[in-house]
Amino acid sequence: MSFFRVTLMRSAIGLPAKTSGVLKALGLHKRLRTVYHPVSPDIAGQIFAVKELVDVQEVDQRLSKQEMKELRRPESGFWVERRAAEMRR
Amino acid sequence: MASIISRTLRRAALDSRGQLPPTFLLPWTANLSTIPNATEKSDVPPPNTAQPLSQKQSILQHSMPKKSETSTESSEPANTSETAPPLPSPAAGASGKNAPVEISPQVREMLPLLRAQGSHYISAHIYARPYLLTQGDTLRLPFLMKDVEPGDVIRLDRATSLGSRDYTLKAAVQTPKLKSPTMQTVEVVDPTTGNLTSHSRVMPEGALGSSPGAVQAPHFIPHIAKGKFSYIDDRLFVCRAVVMGVESEPMRYKEKTKRRQRKVKTVKSKHRYTVLKIKELRVRSDEEIDSGLLLE
Repeated sequence: MSFFRVTLMRSAIGLPAKTSGVLKALGLHKRLRTVYHPVSPDIAGQIFAVKELVDVQEVDQRLSKQEMKELRRPESGFWVERRAAEMRR
Repeated sequence: MASIISRTLRRAALDSRGQLPPTFLLPWTANLSTIPNATEKSDVPPPNTAQPLSQKQSILQHSMPKKSETSTESSEPANTSETAPPLPSPAAGASGKNAPVEISPQVREMLPLLRAQGSHYISAHIYARPYLLTQGDTLRLPFLMKDVEPGDVIRLDRATSLGSRDYTLKAAVQTPKLKSPTMQTVEVVDPTTGNLTSHSRVMPEGALGSSPGAVQAPHFIPHIAKGKFSYIDDRLFVCRAVVMGVESEPMRYKEKTKRRQRKVKTVKSKHRYTVLKIKELRVRSDEEIDSGLLLE
């Protein structure tokens, strides 16, 4: 099963209300929001209606919101080797 | 010029470092790779080496004062690495997070030189922010580190460069920031009409992975942080820090006012910062790297 990965790159401010309605239907409420939708003709039509505003790619699997957040989080760069509490014991 | 070279010679002769050849005989620069990576395609083939293109480059470069440049041109060290046998990859538990990759023979070759040369510095990244550190440094982090208390020993395992006076081990070259293909559409003359006036925008050929070597964005995630930096293999060094305590700034007061209202809100803030001390910074030896993660 493949998915459209749609990211809103440009906002719909100043555009007809119909455009923002389509974005809302796609789940794109603010810029740089990424949503995944299964590939189907009706989704393709919705994307086509806002094709100037979004970035689209067909991908094999969808990422959950948590996974996307995890990708945004930088690596900590450290790990605790020995805790002071253990040494006191 | 002769006086400059003789000064270099004298300094090299007086140097107490026994294992190293004199400074002017050391390699001028050598390109090394730590991370073999099949997905990355480097544009520039590494000089002096006969290794495949599909390897990320990590450069251990030798920076010397420019005065002695004339005497170093003849030494080309990297040719020997072709004959070096591939070394066995370390144990599976060697690196904590990523799968173990083989350390390239060139790094193996040059690492003892870096290791031999006394005090080292490291550019360690904590939460993707770089800190230039040496042993004995006290580091006040700009934040309060969660989940640690004074006395805890932490290991810093993400570094972009590690060096001594003359040598620097750099992390592999960062892959270029990727865009997904729709953001790189190109304008072409419409082929169907055959008319030069009709143009259309198409996605570039091969961008969707038709050619195996094509690099494409796996997923377009805005503000992605994972993979933003490429780091040195954490098996090559040990950087150990002790949590010294928590420092705090003086209380800050800020008066917040709104128009046409007499109310003044006073906002207080007092941030706390974790203080670390670098207890140990050293480059690992070959045996340590081979035997996996040692407890030391």
